[in-house]
Amino acid sequence: MGITRKKAAIGLTSAMAAMLLLSACGSNGGNNGNTAANNNTSSSGNAGGNNAAEPVELNWYTIGTPQKDVDKVMEAVSAYTKDKIGATVKMTMIDWGDYNQKMQVLTASGADMDIMFTAAWAFDYVQNARKGAFAPIDDLLTQYGKGITDTLNPAFLSGSKVDGKNYGVPANKELPVSEVWRFNKNILDQNKLSITDVRSLESLEPLLKTVKQNNPDVTPLQVDKNFTPYIPYDYLIEKFPLAVKLGDTGYKIVNVFETPEMKQALETMHKYYQAGYIPTEAATLESSSDVQATGKWFADKATTQPFADNVWSTSYGYPIVSTPMSDALIYNSSVMGSMQAISANSKHKEKAMEFLNLLNTDPVLRNMVDSGIEGTHYKKTDGDYMENLPESKNYDMPTFALGNIMITYLNPGDPADKWEQFKKYNDAGKPAALLGFNFDPTKVSSEIAAVQNAKESFWAPLMTGTVDPDKYLPQAIKKLNDAGLGKILTEAQTQLDAWKATQAK
Amino acid sequence: MKALGRFFKDINRNKALLLMVLPATVWFLLFSYLPMLGAVISFKEYRIHGGFLSSFIHSRWVGFDNFKFLFSTDDAYTITRNTLLYNIVFIFIGLVLAVAMAVILSEIANKKLAKWYQTGMFMPYFLSWVIVSYFVYSFLSFDRGVINKIALGLGMDPQQWYSEPKYWPFIIIVVFLWKSLGYNSVVYLAAIMGIDKSLYEAAMIDGANKWQQIRNVTLPMLTPLMTILTLLAIGRIFYADFGLFYQVPRDSGTLYSVTNVIDTYVYRGLKTTGEIGMSTAAGLYQSFVGFVLVITSNYIVRRFNKDNALF
Repeated sequence: MGITRKKAAIGLTSAMAAMLLLSACGSNGGNNGNTAANNNTSSSGNAGGNNAAEPVELNWYTIGTPQKDVDKVMEAVSAYTKDKIGATVKMTMIDWGDYNQKMQVLTASGADMDIMFTAAWAFDYVQNARKGAFAPIDDLLTQYGKGITDTLNPAFLSGSKVDGKNYGVPANKELPVSEVWRFNKNILDQNKLSITDVRSLESLEPLLKTVKQNNPDVTPLQVDKNFTPYIPYDYLIEKFPLAVKLGDTGYKIVNVFETPEMKQALETMHKYYQAGYIPTEAATLESSSDVQATGKWFADKATTQPFADNVWSTSYGYPIVSTPMSDALIYNSSVMGSMQAISANSKHKEKAMEFLNLLNTDPVLRNMVDSGIEGTHYKKTDGDYMENLPESKNYDMPTFALGNIMITYLNPGDPADKWEQFKKYNDAGKPAALLGFNFDPTKVSSEIAAVQNAKESFWAPLMTGTVDPDKYLPQAIKKLNDAGLGKILTEAQTQLDAWKATQAK
Repeated sequence: MKALGRFFKDINRNKALLLMVLPATVWFLLFSYLPMLGAVISFKEYRIHGGFLSSFIHSRWVGFDNFKFLFSTDDAYTITRNTLLYNIVFIFIGLVLAVAMAVILSEIANKKLAKWYQTGMFMPYFLSWVIVSYFVYSFLSFDRGVINKIALGLGMDPQQWYSEPKYWPFIIIVVFLWKSLGYNSVVYLAAIMGIDKSLYEAAMIDGANKWQQIRNVTLPMLTPLMTILTLLAIGRIFYADFGLFYQVPRDSGTLYSVTNVIDTYVYRGLKTTGEIGMSTAAGLYQSFVGFVLVITSNYIVRRFNKDNALF
């Protein structure tokens, strides 16, 4: 026994020694690789010779389904940017569903990144700014980003400050958010219904009733588990029950479940559910895409932008019309809808900002990044119009996620004054209550984790009208309070009051 | 010096064996032992500060703060109860059924058919939980599900399966067994195949019938394997299969009282804040309890039968 144990020990040690050797070799190999790569870039830079300094390579991480031709397009982009600003670009795309998690790991492990996509809904901008993932860009903006500050509506930059500093360049796009009721126009016309009087949830009832009677195979009000009825409150954190009432000058934070507006909305939803206007399994339905494909729905709730009806009609293949249920307001989530940040670990922060400046002001670069290589992926028609070529299937990018959309070329069918309309829409937007205030949850993070769990257990059933609010709303409120919602509310109110004092408005 | 000489001689003599364990050793060191150092993060508020190591060093110590969210509400009771009870049921019913299946498969005279059944049972193991959740949905969907269609045909009221907690302990257990049974029974089947045939011959000469052979030869020969696999399963008793408890019930809020387990609780709690320290804390808590349970149950096994214990 003794001998075998000794042998085992020896075996293990030698294996460990071998392992150490291996890892040493591994890291050496890596270093060699790096130096080789550096030599390469520098030599090619010298060969190019247009720029005095060696071009630096910018690592750009962005969201979207990885496209086959990314490297090919980035080569063309690099050739262009090398002359303009002395930098080349390498883009890494990470798919929608993976972006959050992969970026969290990449930043936490200190990976070599320069520019990265961030937003209120993906790789959370505010939280990661606070965690130290992004470099503050205020000085960089004044020095290298003049083009950006000139083109952007000022609300974008002032609204996306975190603790007084900017950490990301927002894309110039639609600014205010307005919720609308969308209608399947075929069914609307078939029943000779009018949407002119529709605005509140309650005002939908007669229409839903008619559709339910005349089209038994159609879902009158399409609702899935992500649905929340509109109430005139500005939420502190998205899908979290704390909010401030719009127009409340006292800035009092409340639990939305305790507001009369929410109670009424939930009661109406439950009434609709019992009347069979809402899908039976709405509370567990991941998305509405199935029913949108078949066209067997009548109304639903959506977020709009200029010409949204056209976009929806084209993508569904049948006509859609919409009517607003709320005013167009600028929320935190709308100014942070799509941003590019510079990594705190980046070695080329200035170049990264120069690149972002060019991306947001130079139509040649912006359209190359967006649509690919002219003649390969797209062709230009008259004026600012373009048309996709068959190759564009290998380079199909999410336009809104790659910077200023108002210098991109127009698609066939777009009105010539499309971007003018966007600007008008943006200028008309009014700020919502909490625009510019970002709650810092660090002190109450364990309460938030507990409240999240409490909230998730009844959020979708209540919001979709699946359960009776008279019975479940008191239970929900109690559960939230037990989990520590009160403590979060107090902390948030303290922060909000402090913020309000600095705003002096 | 002499010791060192002996050491190299030993290496030289065993080099073939050492080479064979090398890949597994490297794998364990890289993916099991090295990451263990990261458990320290559970006592820190992780903030980014340069690379991983410098972030690690610069992050603030917060003591046990990161563990609080696991115990702060009465959900703590629900998730601990669900995780433990489901796993206990999985371990025991799983063991009994897997051994029974293995014995039955080994007794099927037609080997071709036996292979056929075995493969059929094995297939679900390869499916991801997302796919399984759609299988289950096709049975339980309110308006298109098989079960409700049958119920309607028989004149019964259709059920809203995804909002009735009382059925779910049963559904979860059935789905789990359906998916894992094939894999586990193959392990036991392999062990049965390895039993010396002369033992059965001797039993037959003594006049033992099939049932007596199974009870007195097969099962005793399988006991060491059963104990070891059960001990290993006990070590993971605080880990729940995320997909089974999240995907299969379609994350339905009304079912949380019977489907919320530690892993889903941690996911739901941290998906908005993404605090690395808190998720590490949850993982450390799970492994710590698992560790204690393995040591205790191994100790108990040792008391009864030293050879069957893990260590």
